[in-house]
Amino acid sequence: MRIMVLAETQKALTELCAGASQISPQVEAVIIGDQLKVVADTIWYIPAQEYAMLEDYTESIAALIKQEKPELIIVEPTKRYKLIAGRIAAMLGTTVITDVLELEKDFVAKRMVYGGTAIRTEKVVSGSTIVMVGSGVLQSKSVTEVTVREERPVQFIEPKIRLKRIAREEKERVAVDLPGAKVVVGIGRGIAEQKDLEMIKQLALALKGEIGCTRPIAEAEKWMPKETYLGVSGLIIAPEVYIAIGISGQIQHTVGINRSKLIVSINKEKSAPIFKQSDYGIVGDLYKVLPALIKHFG
Amino acid sequence: MKIITCIKVVPEEQDIVIKADGELSFDRAKPTISAYDLNAVEAGAQLLEECGGDFIALSVGSGGIDNPKLKKNILSRGPESLVMVADDRLKDLDTHQTAKVLKAAIEKVGEYDLILCGEGSSDLYAQQVGPQLGQLLNVPTINSVSKITQSDGKIVVQRTLENEVETLESVLPALVIVTSDINLPRIATMSHVLAAGKKPATVWTLEDIGVLELFNTIEVIDTRAPQQVERKQDIVEGDTDEAIQEFITKLSTVLAK
Repeated sequence: MRIMVLAETQKALTELCAGASQISPQVEAVIIGDQLKVVADTIWYIPAQEYAMLEDYTESIAALIKQEKPELIIVEPTKRYKLIAGRIAAMLGTTVITDVLELEKDFVAKRMVYGGTAIRTEKVVSGSTIVMVGSGVLQSKSVTEVTVREERPVQFIEPKIRLKRIAREEKERVAVDLPGAKVVVGIGRGIAEQKDLEMIKQLALALKGEIGCTRPIAEAEKWMPKETYLGVSGLIIAPEVYIAIGISGQIQHTVGINRSKLIVSINKEKSAPIFKQSDYGIVGDLYKVLPALIKHFG
Repeated sequence: MKIITCIKVVPEEQDIVIKADGELSFDRAKPTISAYDLNAVEAGAQLLEECGGDFIALSVGSGGIDNPKLKKNILSRGPESLVMVADDRLKDLDTHQTAKVLKAAIEKVGEYDLILCGEGSSDLYAQQVGPQLGQLLNVPTINSVSKITQSDGKIVVQRTLENEVETLESVLPALVIVTSDINLPRIATMSHVLAAGKKPATVWTLEDIGVLELFNTIEVIDTRAPQQVERKQDIVEGDTDEAIQEFITKLSTVLAK
């Protein structure tokens, strides 16, 4: 069985290729230019074109898929690739299953629907299966060094339509790796002021963890970057330990963290739904509990 | 500028009931506008105010979307007219089918400059109809757009991606997919709602738009509430020094592993 991998970042390319190799020994990666280090046994190499955006390679990738007919195409769920994958699907007369949480035998995929209220199990029934799979979904025992068996060039096809890029600005980098963190400290509306984040940082440091948050903390309060909110339309994580601080436990948030191995919560409301989903917890004032935790673990 | 905003009608999320067997019941969930599409409607309304022209709302779905209250709700938010393809054969469409039906409806509407879509639907959130529709229409397609300005038959958009913000220029016609923070959708006033009742609304069937066959690209196996993981629920009550110490002792054992 042939699997083709499309990724925009090195981290995802490495992870998706390693994960794909657990499904089938024949992993093929599509590489554009020389940006990414190859980790598959076959690579399809599209030479970089001057002034081209990633989107300008859509026709070339679609033609490759049409010609090679891989059974499964695994795509990194970035915004650019959501557009590209959708356009490719339309060219091929099929569709894309996005934001897959689990990929089972025969490419049966599970994904979240109705704002986290339900999980839908579905499969593609029209030709190649295109799935977009986030970090941590495909299990791989280890990322082994793969030697490239063959490198095959792909002809660049000039797109009918090119967008004109006038300007481009790097966003301020958010230096967190939430999907990869073993311990994640999550904060919610129970935090009274932005300056209290200092205390959270100390706790995260003491526990060697990263900090995530609920959507209101990122979008309404803007105390944390948008890239760090957990739950529906944000990140879905599965750390060893998740510590929910001042989080009531709305479903929109908990769908992002309920795959954690262990959940610990700190909340002053005894009736907060988060306690029902926790292994350990304390009903108390976080401003008393956290300093004691920092002192003990720091 | 002639603008068409695509709208998905979804069941009101808070009225979806999880049944004992984990299946969902939509019996009490009224049809409403998908939350992300409100931003696409607002973007259309703002462009219309700015440069004039024509602004149509378009929705496709089962016969149930042909609902007077819903139609008024859509028209009170800025569109000058509404076109629906309401047909019971359009129940539970996958993204491929939705894009195909929208394409046929848009072609029947006629000429356009800009198609606007929301980021994804608030029920299934596949984020795929916009990209597929743009390709089917063979027009420039841009997603994740957080700002639109227009001038001389062109648009300039700001596109906010994971690590970068880019400014792109596109000729018209084009399809633009907007983010949920591009604007704050307006709340319709009573006079808007009254005016909405007088705006034209057209309802078509599949035959009207010439779509004769639709095949599934996805087979849905099931949709059910996620199984809750059994948790220990070992909760210490109170924040006295002793209680906090007890909590710390418990944590120390598990965190040490």
